[in-house]
Amino acid sequence: MTSMTSRDSAQKPRLLESRRVLTLILLAAFVWSLLNLDWTEGFIHSGGISAIGEFARALFTLDLSANTLSTAITASWTTVAYAVTGLTLALFIGIPLGAIGSGVLTKSPWVKATGAGGSRFSLAFFRSIHELVWAWLFVAAIGLSPMAAVLALAIPYGGILGRIYAELLQDVPEAPLQSLRSTGASEWRVFWYGRLPMALPDMLSYTFYRLECGIRSAAIMSFVGLGGLGHEVRIALDDLAYQQVWTYLLFLIGLVVVVDIWSTMVRRRLSE
Amino acid sequence: MTTIDNASRPTTASFVWPRVTFIRFSMLAMMVLIVSSWIFVLNVDGAQSHSFLSVETFNRFKDFLGDLLGIGSSTTPAFAQWSEWRSTGHLAYDTLAMSVMAIGFAAIFALVFFIFGARNMMMGEMAPYGSWFWRGVFFLVRGLFVVTRAIPELIWAMLIIFVLSPGLLPGAVALGLHNAGILGKLSSEIVEGLDQRPIQALRSTGAGRFQVMVYGVLPQALPRFVTYLFYRWEVIIRTAIVVGFVSAGGLGTEFRLSMSYFHFTTVALLLIWYLILVLGVDIAASYLRRLAR
Repeated sequence: MTSMTSRDSAQKPRLLESRRVLTLILLAAFVWSLLNLDWTEGFIHSGGISAIGEFARALFTLDLSANTLSTAITASWTTVAYAVTGLTLALFIGIPLGAIGSGVLTKSPWVKATGAGGSRFSLAFFRSIHELVWAWLFVAAIGLSPMAAVLALAIPYGGILGRIYAELLQDVPEAPLQSLRSTGASEWRVFWYGRLPMALPDMLSYTFYRLECGIRSAAIMSFVGLGGLGHEVRIALDDLAYQQVWTYLLFLIGLVVVVDIWSTMVRRRLSE
Repeated sequence: MTTIDNASRPTTASFVWPRVTFIRFSMLAMMVLIVSSWIFVLNVDGAQSHSFLSVETFNRFKDFLGDLLGIGSSTTPAFAQWSEWRSTGHLAYDTLAMSVMAIGFAAIFALVFFIFGARNMMMGEMAPYGSWFWRGVFFLVRGLFVVTRAIPELIWAMLIIFVLSPGLLPGAVALGLHNAGILGKLSSEIVEGLDQRPIQALRSTGAGRFQVMVYGVLPQALPRFVTYLFYRWEVIIRTAIVVGFVSAGGLGTEFRLSMSYFHFTTVALLLIWYLILVLGVDIAASYLRRLAR
């Protein structure tokens, strides 16, 4: 206790200062961003307020006709299918690049530097571009195909998974690995029988977490012409059919919530 | 394995599904989901999907890369002209402003609501307010987080464009709403995971609710909150271009127009700016994060 207080008091002046600077920076940045708006004109459409009213009223007159519901169910399945296929493909990017990027496969410094550096760089590049931008580029390049969207989803997700996998593989406790090495196991064997089994629960856990994000990303792939919930929302909005918009939005929310609950349950049991 | 697990666990009133069984079941369900999804996706547009891996695809890809780089075109590529760099630079500046505005909105929303979304503050033993009213507020706020979070930024933008006039604001509000839900959930969870002892000590000295908030909760929670803020900012800058597709502001709008006019060298220039923004924000965020510690 005494050691804690002495450490606290020793650190306090510096800490306070840097935090005050940070607060000022954040506030100044926010004010600067607001100055970029055009304050001379109104921010709301002429019909904006009435649009809110109509939209809110539509919630109480939801379109629950058999036709809309069956469209919503099909669209939900399409969205889930794209999310799952995209994520499986992402595993094929994330696992090898993550394993190489963690730099634990070999002891040779040369191979380590080039291999780990190279795969870390490509992972960073993959995840720096948003999936919808990837999708648009692919569609422009090879034409409209479901595979274009699946690939577009897989690339940034592979980049994120790979980075996290690399970190998890590095953070494994050293002691069990040392005992493996003392039996004469190569780094490759140590990886297979030591690192991977120990990191696997956390890797699985993070992958499950990403599934929820994948559902949302798959839903907006409609923008490049794929079916799914986003596509239906867009069509309904073009028709000003707010009742249908609500139905599709509620299906999307429900889908995300179900996946969230499932992944939380799995994650909690994996971390026990 | 399962039996040992259950025996070692203290008996609880509710039935707890054995850990291994549930995980096995989930893995099996996942396998089924993966197989059926692939079958579905490969059959949606059957002919095209199967011919995806072909020489033709490869050639079209190569041609597109050539278009981006301006190979074989008679005009000067956009990224070789200083005036183009300047005009698109303005758009990049706008996108940066949009992302900062968005994270600001999200932070304000989360700061207002996060305490009402923390279970231990609202109905646990730490709750200063023990009534059904505050219990209702808790569920309402958590519901608000779920709804704002579940709807992607782009769909928010498609809805908001009906209300707000085009420009930076609708994009920032769309990004802000989605991230408000995420930040709200994360920051409520921070409060739920806080060390309760300082708070209890404060309360035992007779501190009121407001004082407990200011001297007990905020000093512990804010540094981690700021860390999450920067992490979300990194995500927002990547998404700001996408929201711009519909909200008419920044790089996104120009990207969309250049794509539809086949001005591919302009697309390449916009992508360069986009990557500069993403890299710059990553560096700035990691620097600022150190200040928060």
